[in-house]
Amino acid sequence: MFEYLIFFVFAAIAIIFALVVVLHRNAVVGALSLVVSFFSLAVMYVLLDAPFLAALQVIVYAGAIMVLFLFVIMLLNLQHVQEANTRPVQKFLGYTSAAAFLITIVYYILKYAAFTAPASPFRADAHQIGVSLFEAYVFPFEMVSILLLAAIVGAMLLSNRSIDTSESISTEVMEQPDGESGAEVTR
Amino acid sequence: MIPTQWFLILSAILFSIGVCGVLTRRNGITIFMSIELMVNAVNLTFLAYARQFNQLHGLIFVFFIMAIAAAEAAVGLAIFISLFHHRETIDVDEANLMHW
Repeated sequence: MFEYLIFFVFAAIAIIFALVVVLHRNAVVGALSLVVSFFSLAVMYVLLDAPFLAALQVIVYAGAIMVLFLFVIMLLNLQHVQEANTRPVQKFLGYTSAAAFLITIVYYILKYAAFTAPASPFRADAHQIGVSLFEAYVFPFEMVSILLLAAIVGAMLLSNRSIDTSESISTEVMEQPDGESGAEVTR
Repeated sequence: MIPTQWFLILSAILFSIGVCGVLTRRNGITIFMSIELMVNAVNLTFLAYARQFNQLHGLIFVFFIMAIAAAEAAVGLAIFISLFHHRETIDVDEANLMHW
């Protein structure tokens, strides 16, 4: 019974703050609401017997990714920007199609996914996940590491302002090979 | 034990809210946050089914999705920074160079 109470309270929190993300005009309020929504999803993961992934959810999503979002919002000085109004037809079509999608998928969940609850509690601790990750899933694991490396290089390359003038900078360095212009290149 | 389909319905609601945000907002960062919301809804579905069928594979999938979402967020936000430097806005309707 207590489990149900926790489920409904945190499901309501997740949905309300997700709606704030979508409806509020200020991006900072949206990002902070998304952090709250992710925290309540971490509570859902605990209810689903996956405490390790709940910890990952808090650390990676609510911690790292949302800090990245807030950092970009602050870096671009967007916290005072009010976004322009969406066209009414786009708004209408967006809400209608999202509602139609929701109704359809809830109908099919209730029709085809009406499972009986599992009898035994699901046991999945960090030990089992680690063993599975390094035995059956070692190749995707390495692929993800390469992907993260590519993402780091891509993010640095894309957000670098002086990428167009890199050739002229390098010729300048060739002409005057002292320490200070070299420091400018690394900037 | 909470039935699995309640988690599935919660996940469907969150996914629809994300779809709604992507379709109706014009701020690029908010669209991106809606995409993260949709990714999280899918993660919840994976975990609900993992518990239902007593399988570890769903958890591993969620692990990989988290790593890929981190990479996606880094590259996407770098694209928005680059767009802001060129256009002084992150309104996605302004990024219409390839528009017909």
